[in-house]
Amino acid sequence: MDAGAQSFDNRSPMRAAITEPPLVRWVVTLVSLGFMVIFLVMPLVAVFAEALRQGFAAYLGNVLDPDALAAVRLTLTVAAIAVPLNLVFGLAAAWAISKFDFVGKSVLITFIDLPFSVSPVVSGLVYVLLYGAHGWFGPWLQAHDLQIIFAVPGLVLATIFVTFPFIARELIPLMQQQGTEDEEAALVLGAGGWNTFLHVTLPNVKWGLLYGVLLCNARAMGEFGAVSVVSGHIRGLTNTMPLHVEILYNEYNFVGAFAVASLLALLALVTLVSKSLLEWRFSHELAAMRH
Amino acid sequence: MAYEFSDHRSRSRGVAVLDRPHRPAIIDIEETRPPMAIELTDIAKRFGNFTALDHVTVRAHDGEFLALLGPSGSGKTTLLRIIAGLELADSGTLQFKGEDLSRRSAKDRRIGLVFQHYALFRHMTVFDNVAFGLRVKKRHERPTKPEIEERVHRLLRLVQLDRLADRYPGQLSGGQRQRVALARALAVEPELLLLDEPFGALDAKVRKELRRWLRQLHDEMGLTSIFVTHDQEEALELADRVVVMNEGRIEQVGTPVDVYDNPATPFVYQFIGNSNRFECQVMEGHISIAGHVVGASDEVLPNGPALAFVRPHDFDIRSAKGGLGIPAVIRNLFPAGTLLRIELKLASTEQIVEVEVERSHPNPELAPGRLIVLSPRTIKVFPSAPPPLAQIAPPVES
Repeated sequence: MDAGAQSFDNRSPMRAAITEPPLVRWVVTLVSLGFMVIFLVMPLVAVFAEALRQGFAAYLGNVLDPDALAAVRLTLTVAAIAVPLNLVFGLAAAWAISKFDFVGKSVLITFIDLPFSVSPVVSGLVYVLLYGAHGWFGPWLQAHDLQIIFAVPGLVLATIFVTFPFIARELIPLMQQQGTEDEEAALVLGAGGWNTFLHVTLPNVKWGLLYGVLLCNARAMGEFGAVSVVSGHIRGLTNTMPLHVEILYNEYNFVGAFAVASLLALLALVTLVSKSLLEWRFSHELAAMRH
Repeated sequence: MAYEFSDHRSRSRGVAVLDRPHRPAIIDIEETRPPMAIELTDIAKRFGNFTALDHVTVRAHDGEFLALLGPSGSGKTTLLRIIAGLELADSGTLQFKGEDLSRRSAKDRRIGLVFQHYALFRHMTVFDNVAFGLRVKKRHERPTKPEIEERVHRLLRLVQLDRLADRYPGQLSGGQRQRVALARALAVEPELLLLDEPFGALDAKVRKELRRWLRQLHDEMGLTSIFVTHDQEEALELADRVVVMNEGRIEQVGTPVDVYDNPATPFVYQFIGNSNRFECQVMEGHISIAGHVVGASDEVLPNGPALAFVRPHDFDIRSAKGGLGIPAVIRNLFPAGTLLRIELKLASTEQIVEVEVERSHPNPELAPGRLIVLSPRTIKVFPSAPPPLAQIAPPVES
């Protein structure tokens, strides 16, 4: 104890050892802050500035435009379907990969990353090739009067494909690192599979899961490329928010485009703030779990 | 510590509890013979090419504290996991009080298992951890909320952690976590308690305290316990009987005194307690080390090369002038507690030998550089071809 107290009093040499010269400190801080301002803050400010250029009334008018509202509704619908489905898939895949050994495990791990490495445009085209009028399943779908491409199902499929890895990727390393001992303990204590999952596995990964869901949701709402290919750009019907922004922009309706873009930016900010809020709210529990 | 936990169990088990010997006597364990609790017969288990268990048979009496002792990779943890139902044996039978346990899944075996790293649920408080086994019971078996509360607090008092009921495992010390793990395992009222390296992750002082406390708890609760350890001191101090395992096989089963005094194989001799190993020659019952006759053998041994083992405290050291024995030079002296450890080098073969003598008898002969003679008081000779040495990992360099 005494030795520890001494080294604490005698602090200056230790400080000197881990502190860089002032010049280096300044440069590092300036570079990181400067980058953030130029590449993140300025565009964000620009979005809102452009959107509000003709005043708040014009902004509201643009946001409440029926086509814009339809785009918002469609985006939320697509995300509301794609995110829960990827949540189920991500959990199942991470669970299977980290807790069991099975044939095809390495194939599964490789393929989960596929959407990250493939251009979103290609992902969209693949669905057109499969479900489009001239695609593999096209004739069969037409015969049964089912429309996938240029309709909401196509948007959902493309979004699922693109956002597929987010939750699984977040969970796999976490669950692998945690191993199976907790589950074994629960089993020996008499818990069945469902109880074990609900009370042991899920709480162990809930922060990673939440983070994965937020990322997945942000991407699902903002996805452009894949969705653009399968959408058909029908105003009020198959236009999600990012597509609507593009259409307005191409029509030289800059204020309208930025108004809708500001909604997307707001969604991103809400995501960020809610994540910080949750972390702050549960910081005590988080600290307890990190041991 | 008053034992208040299993009142209804002792009732249900009636006379059996009264009949159980408190701690079986050292030698006549076979005569007192309480009913057999767990019987593992001819258990084999392979992981790919690796033979974890090679047809192993282990039995534990009701109320017994059994140690599975062996180096890592000897199969002891696999055996424990097979009993708990976390691993399936490739062949063999597993019976608990006459019932075939292998028919029940791990979930329904009602065995208490304390994991080496405790496997406490991090996101649950100490209270919730202990209550877990009760809360996941089927509705008709589940105790009511006040009952659960009462039982958990009783267990936490038993492990002396009641005031920490609202803490999370991350806020506890290693010894406290271990006691939480134990309370959690005991909450489901197991008849068999399994402990995997229960003291492995604790520092030496906590370890000793917990050891004594665990033994007391075992006796008070009338449990049958099996624990896995690689620490021979732990096994010898704690267990009624020790099962010494090596490479998936059982080398010896016996009381601590038994395995220490009469090791059945060279492996047991080297693994349990310190020992000096010598290449020796047997000729007409006389044992000679480095050309010096050191004793006669009681057993009938074939003439020829053999292996001799001598414990460090089983040597007499005499002055080199005229004494009989193996000449050796003292290299170093290490005073350790009440003992003096002496490191010597045999004059002829340069083999290093370790000897322990009481420090209370100072001997002017004992100084580095002196030439003395060693004569073993007790010597154990194994005639058979020794197993490859690399796998034995001798505790004393020889």
